[in-house]
Amino acid sequence: MEYLVVLLILVVFLQTRIMELHRATYLLAIQSAIIAGSCVIIGVSAGGGGVYAFLPGLLTLGVKVVFIPWAILRLIGQIKDDSEINSNINVNYSSMAAAVFLVMGYIMADHLLPGVIGRDIFAAAILTIMTGLTLIVMRRRAIMQIVGLITLENGIYFFGLLMTEGLPLIVELGVFLDVLIAVVVLVILTGRMRLSFMTTDTGVMRKLKG
Amino acid sequence: MDLLFLSLGLFLLGTATILWPKRFEPAAHYVGMISAAAGSGVLFCVSGLYLVSAGWLRLVNGWLAFGSWGSYSLDADLWSAPFLVITGLAGFIISLYGMDYAKRYRGNGLRALAGEWNLFLLSMVMVLVAGDAFTFILAWEVMALVSFLLVNHESSKKETVSAAYQYMIMTHLGTAAILVAFYILGSSVGSFSFAAFSLNQMPPDLRHIVFCFAFAGFALKSGLMPLHVWLPNAHPAAPSHVSALMSGVMLKVAVYGFGRFVFQFTGIDTLWQGVLVISTGLISAFLGVLYANMEKDVKRILAYSSVENMGIIFTAFGCGMILKYLDMESLSLVAFTAALVHAFTHSLMKCLLFMSAGCVMHATGSKNIEIMGGLAKKMPWTAFFTLIGSMSLASLPFTGGLVGEWLTLQSLYTLAVNGNDEIRLLVVFGLILLGFTGALALGCFVRLFGIVFLGRCRSKAVDKAHEQPFFMVLALGIEAVLIVAVGVFPSPLVAAMEGVFIGVGDMPPAMMFDHWSAMGGSGIVPMVDGYALLWSGTGNIYDQMAVYCPVIFAIMGLVLFGICYLSVMGNTLVRREVTWNCGTYPTARQQYSATGFSKPLRRAFDFILKPRREKVYLEKEHDYFGHRVRFNLFVPDRFTDRLYHPVEHFMVRLSSTLLMIQQGSVRLYIAYTMIAMVVVLLWGVM
Repeated sequence: MEYLVVLLILVVFLQTRIMELHRATYLLAIQSAIIAGSCVIIGVSAGGGGVYAFLPGLLTLGVKVVFIPWAILRLIGQIKDDSEINSNINVNYSSMAAAVFLVMGYIMADHLLPGVIGRDIFAAAILTIMTGLTLIVMRRRAIMQIVGLITLENGIYFFGLLMTEGLPLIVELGVFLDVLIAVVVLVILTGRMRLSFMTTDTGVMRKLKG
Repeated sequence: MDLLFLSLGLFLLGTATILWPKRFEPAAHYVGMISAAAGSGVLFCVSGLYLVSAGWLRLVNGWLAFGSWGSYSLDADLWSAPFLVITGLAGFIISLYGMDYAKRYRGNGLRALAGEWNLFLLSMVMVLVAGDAFTFILAWEVMALVSFLLVNHESSKKETVSAAYQYMIMTHLGTAAILVAFYILGSSVGSFSFAAFSLNQMPPDLRHIVFCFAFAGFALKSGLMPLHVWLPNAHPAAPSHVSALMSGVMLKVAVYGFGRFVFQFTGIDTLWQGVLVISTGLISAFLGVLYANMEKDVKRILAYSSVENMGIIFTAFGCGMILKYLDMESLSLVAFTAALVHAFTHSLMKCLLFMSAGCVMHATGSKNIEIMGGLAKKMPWTAFFTLIGSMSLASLPFTGGLVGEWLTLQSLYTLAVNGNDEIRLLVVFGLILLGFTGALALGCFVRLFGIVFLGRCRSKAVDKAHEQPFFMVLALGIEAVLIVAVGVFPSPLVAAMEGVFIGVGDMPPAMMFDHWSAMGGSGIVPMVDGYALLWSGTGNIYDQMAVYCPVIFAIMGLVLFGICYLSVMGNTLVRREVTWNCGTYPTARQQYSATGFSKPLRRAFDFILKPRREKVYLEKEHDYFGHRVRFNLFVPDRFTDRLYHPVEHFMVRLSSTLLMIQQGSVRLYIAYTMIAMVVVLLWGVM
C-alpha cells in the first residue's frame, strides 16, 4: 500500500508538469489504475472476500482506466491542429502548488486526525483533490480540464475509501455512473466547442458572458 | 361570527368571477361588484353592531383549518372593529360606484378587475381579523400583491407600469421591516399567536428595536414622509375606485397594524417613541399638504392630501403615546380617539374625493386640472358632493373632517398644558405646523374645487362633459350625506370610537389593553353623554379639554352672517358690470390657473420646495420683441432628490464594483471555489 501511495504522489506531480495531451491521458489512466489497485487491497484487507471486494476495483478499472482515457484519446485524435495538443505555459506554478498542498495535507492529517494510521494516504488524497482543482483552474485546454476533473474525482474516491473502507455497492455504482455521464457530456461539449470556436481553449467561453 | 364568515364567503364568490368565461364578462362584473357590495354591507353591519353594542354577538375568534394548507387563527377584538367598520362602509359605497365606473374597462380585463377587487377587500378583512403573525403576514402580502395588480391594471401605459413596480418594491421593503419585527417577537416568545406576543417578556432594548421596525413598516404602508414616494405615483396610475379603496382603507389598515404593535406587543415605556411618531406625523401633515398645493394632477393632489391626513392621524396617535407615557390616561384616551375618528372621517372624505376625481376623469378624459373649469354647470350633482368633500378635507365646520382634527388639536393643547418643558417646546412647533396644515389644506381644496368646477371652461375637454351614471352619483351622495351627518352629529361616532378603549357595555376593552394595565381604572368616563348635538363632559375635568359643539358653531356663524349682512346690505348699492380689464374683454385664459393660484405659496416656501424654473425661447426675433417663450416649472419631490437618488446611485456603484469579480471565466469561478475550500480547510486546522 505504501508503494502505491508513493507512486500516486509521483504520478500526480508528473501530471502537473505534462502539457502534451496524449501523455496527460496516459498518466490519468495510470493514476486510475493505482486507485483501482489500492481499492482491491483495501477490499481484501478489510476482510471481505468474493466479488464484493473486487467489484469496485474492477469498476474503476473498466470506467476510469479503459473507457474514459479511450474516449479522451479518441477526441484528441480528431484534433488536427498541433498547437492545440502542445502548448507552452509555465507549469512551475502548478508544481509549486502541488508541493504546498502535500504539506497542507500532512498538516491537516496531524491536526484533524492525530494518530491516524493512514496518514500518508490522507495526505495523498488531499494532494490529488487539490491538484485536480489546480489543473482545472490553471489549464486552458478543455481536455486538460477533463483530466483535472477525473483527478479530482479520483482523489475524492480515494479519500472516501480511506475514511469508510468501502461504501455500499449501490453508492459506488451511483458514483461511477455519475462520473461516466459527466465525462460523456464533457467530451461531447468539447467536440462541439472545437467545431464552433475552432479551439478547445476555454478562454473563449468568456464571450458567452451576458 | 357566522355573519362575518358570510361576508368573507361573498368576497370569495366575487373573487371567483375572475374565472368566468369571456362571453359573460359584463355579468361577471356585475356579480363581482354586487357580491363585493353585499359582503361589505354585511361586514359593516356586523362590525358596526359589535362596536356600538358588543356583548350580544361576537365577531370572530377561532381557527380556520384547511388540512395540509395549515390552520389560520382569526381573532377580532374591539381594536379591529373600527377598522372593519371603515372597510365595510368604504367597500360598500365604492363597490356601488365601481358598478358603473369600471364598465369602461370592458374588453380590457374587466373580469380580472372585479375578481381582484373582491380579493383586495377579502385580504384587508383578513389582515384585520388575523390572530397570529403568520395569518397576518399572509393576508398582508396578498393585500400588497393584489393592490399591485390593481394599480398595474392599465399596464399598457408605461408610467403605470413603473409606478406599479415602484409601489411593489416599496411595499415589500415595508413588509420586510414588519417581518423582522414579527421574527424578533416570535423568537422571544416561541409562538406566533398574537395572544402569546402580548405576554412577551423581552428586554426593553429589544422591544424598542421591534417598535422601530414596526413603525418603519407601517409608516411606509400609510405613506408617511419620507416613505411616501410610492403614493403620489401609485394613485394616478390606478383606476379611480381602486385609488379610493387604497387611500380610504388600505392606509388605515396600516394604522391598525401599528396600533396592534404599540398597544399589545411593545407597550409605551419611553418618551422618544411618542416623540418619533408625533414628529413624523407633523412633518408628513405639513409637507404633504404643501406638495398637494403644487400639483396639477387631480389624483396626485389627493394622494398628497392622503399623506397629510395620515400625518394628522399619526400626530394624534403620537400625542396619545406621549400622554400615556406621562400617565395621563384620560387625555391619552382623547388623543387615541382622535386618531380613530380622523381615520374614519378621512376614509369617508377621501373616498368621496377620489370617486369624484374618477367622475371628472370620466367626463373630461384628463387628470390635469389646468384644462378644466366650469364643470359645475355640466355636472351639478358631482360638483355639489365634491364641494362637501372638499369642505370636509379643509376641515370646515359641519363636516366630518373637523371632528378628528379638532380632537387632535385639543389633545395637542392638553399636551402643552400638562407636559414638561421639552414637550411644550415640541408642542408649540406642533401647533404651528398643524395650523399651517389646516390653512394650506383650505387653500389646496379651494384651489382644487375652484379650478375644476368653477369659472369658465379652459379647454375643449370640458365641452363634452356630462353628468355621470346613476350609481356613481349615488355613491358620491351617500358619502356626502355621511360626512355632513358626522359633522353635525359627531357624538355617536366619538362615543363608538372611545368605546374601543374603555369597553362597550359589559364588554371589557380590547384584550390588548390588559398589557396596558393602568387603563380601565376608575378615572375613565365616557366623553359623550348621549346628547346628540352637544358633546360635553360628565363633570370630569379632562372633559373640558375635548369639547366640540356644532350648535355653538352654528349660532356663531349665524351671528357673524347677520352682522355682515346688516353692515354690507344695509347701505350698499349693488350694480352688475363687466369686470374691468384695462379695456379688453376678459377671456377664459385670464382666469386664475392652478399654477398661478399656488404661486404665493411657492414663493413663501421656496426654501423647502426649491422649484426649478426653465425659460425656453421658441422664437426670438429681437431682444425686445417677437418672443415666443415657454416656461417650464417643476416642483421636484425633495425626498426623492435628496434621499432616494443618492441611495440609488450608491447601490448602482456598489453593484458595478461587485461586477468586477464576475469576469465570465469558468476557471476563475472554480478558482473562487478552490480558494474558499482551502480557506475553510485551513480554518478547520487552526
